[in-house]
Amino acid sequence: MTNKNESSLFNFIQKHAAIGTWEFDIKLNTLQWSSETKRIHGLPTDYVPDVNSGLSFYKAGQNRDTITQLYTNCIEKHENFDVELQIIAATGDEKWVRSIGIPIIENKKCIKVQGSFQDINEKTLNTKTLAYKEQQLRKIFESAVVGMAIVDLKGNWIDVNKSLCKTFGYTKEEFEKFSLQDITHPEDTLIGRKSIIKMINGELEDFITEKRYICKEGKTISAMLYASIIRDDDDKPLHFVAQISNQTQIKKSNSEVIQLLETTKDQNKRLLNFAQIVSHNLRSHYSNLDMLLNILKVDLPETTKNEIFPLIELAVSNLGESLENLNEVAAINTNKDLKTVPINLLSHFNKALSTISALIIESKTVLQLNVDKTVCVMGVPAYIDSILLNFLTNAIRYKKPHKKAEIEISTYNEEKFVVLVIKDYGQGIDLKKHGEKLFGMYKTFHKHEDSRGLGLFITKNQVEAIGGKIKVESTVNESTTFNIYLRNDE
Amino acid sequence: MKVQPLIYTLETMSKVDVAYIIDDDPIFIFGAKRMMEISNFCNSFKVFKNGHEAITKLKTENLKEIDIPEIILLDINMPVMDGWEFLEEFSKLIFNKKITIYIVSSSIDPIDIKRAKRYENVSNYLVKPISVDALKNILKDI
Repeated sequence: MTNKNESSLFNFIQKHAAIGTWEFDIKLNTLQWSSETKRIHGLPTDYVPDVNSGLSFYKAGQNRDTITQLYTNCIEKHENFDVELQIIAATGDEKWVRSIGIPIIENKKCIKVQGSFQDINEKTLNTKTLAYKEQQLRKIFESAVVGMAIVDLKGNWIDVNKSLCKTFGYTKEEFEKFSLQDITHPEDTLIGRKSIIKMINGELEDFITEKRYICKEGKTISAMLYASIIRDDDDKPLHFVAQISNQTQIKKSNSEVIQLLETTKDQNKRLLNFAQIVSHNLRSHYSNLDMLLNILKVDLPETTKNEIFPLIELAVSNLGESLENLNEVAAINTNKDLKTVPINLLSHFNKALSTISALIIESKTVLQLNVDKTVCVMGVPAYIDSILLNFLTNAIRYKKPHKKAEIEISTYNEEKFVVLVIKDYGQGIDLKKHGEKLFGMYKTFHKHEDSRGLGLFITKNQVEAIGGKIKVESTVNESTTFNIYLRNDE
Repeated sequence: MKVQPLIYTLETMSKVDVAYIIDDDPIFIFGAKRMMEISNFCNSFKVFKNGHEAITKLKTENLKEIDIPEIILLDINMPVMDGWEFLEEFSKLIFNKKITIYIVSSSIDPIDIKRAKRYENVSNYLVKPISVDALKNILKDI
């Protein structure tokens, strides 16, 4: 076969199918390559090949050894060959080629070898990429944490992964003995049936549902089923891919959380009732006592002129104050939809200071107020007033005995907060001893006539109600610093 | 500018003819009666143990002028008919005399105080214990 003899159709086929031909004449020891064969090798059409140079294009090593062996076998043992190997073209590119060789026998002797030579580089590379991707997907399927299965349209398993085996307690072999329906909880077999029909009819691509299954030990498990469908090129459904994620533990924890929430709600409700009982019922008794004492003073003045009466009056008045405090606490905790507004800190400080001006003068308090007039926080005005008043009066009340009260007030910004720093050089608080109880109801740490532990408790509640928090540092007989985090107005 | 006298003498104040006390608490009733006497609050008063008793009286046909109160001191928490229910019923009635209602409750719950403001007939919310001063202030207002 010579180049001249190639018909134009044959040429066309060679070129477009990327298939060249070759022929080795043993007697003449000549090798002929068609122009397409030369093109695949990256050679010009006038190139004249010989056997050795022909083989030298194969990649050294396994590729070249294989073709040499096959070539030898073809001549000596009259064996056909059909092989896919890599060559290195004249251009230096590596290429996958398919080489076919057929011996031509005359008088039981091989006189020629004829064959084809095909460029299969692209196809091979694609196949290899596909194989790689297939391997990836297989790994994902096999090692996925979620249980996965490929199921045929009738619900029979095609493949299951390790996680599914673990979830249900069956081996892969055991799975083959039954279908997906067989391990579905009898009450849940109909769940998702409509979606499956829709998927088969091409109206739906995937769906998620919750279903119960029975595992090998007979235990019921709750699972999320995520099903999708694989179709062929004609959109004909082939099989389902099912992901079954065991939710039993999550569900259990979830129901525990819900139960806990219920209990908390219930307790909260009872607390609220309790607070209402305190504010209504106890207060009416207190007010009656107070009223009767006033009448007694008018109607029977002689019965009040003794040591006991003023003490009764004091006890009743203290009772009233305690009830008012309790009521305040209840009000903070029940007032959930607080409306906060921007509040200028400095002007509220000035207001608080004027309220306690007498106390400041009497205690000879030295106060450094370093709050910029532009600093604003979000809050409820009444709460801010009460918070400032409480910290200021505490700082003055718990000064070192026989010394002036010294207070330093400043602010700084931290994330979404304006941090109000109130530092006093007073008695300090032993935080190791009292830290946990510092903001508790009715805890007092100082021997002071006005000690009211409820103050800090209310203050803490008010700060928290407007989205803030309080941090405290203190050294006994040195100083106490309250860092009050208030939401900024941005 | 008229200078307000610092001490109100009883003679300068308008005195209430009839006052109703609607409250289920006998101690409060005892105290309120005595306070009214001390402050020379009214000529006479009627006591009702709950809203129902009071509304029944007010609904009486041909109620004598002398039985229609000028002031009602109304408690909130009562059996049978509480203060709020009484106010609902009361607002349906028409009198040819101005009746001022004061809620007198031991509740300091802001929700109650807010709710009281919704009623046109309610002139103020007094927190127990009531004092002679509070009664005198009422006389000043009406």
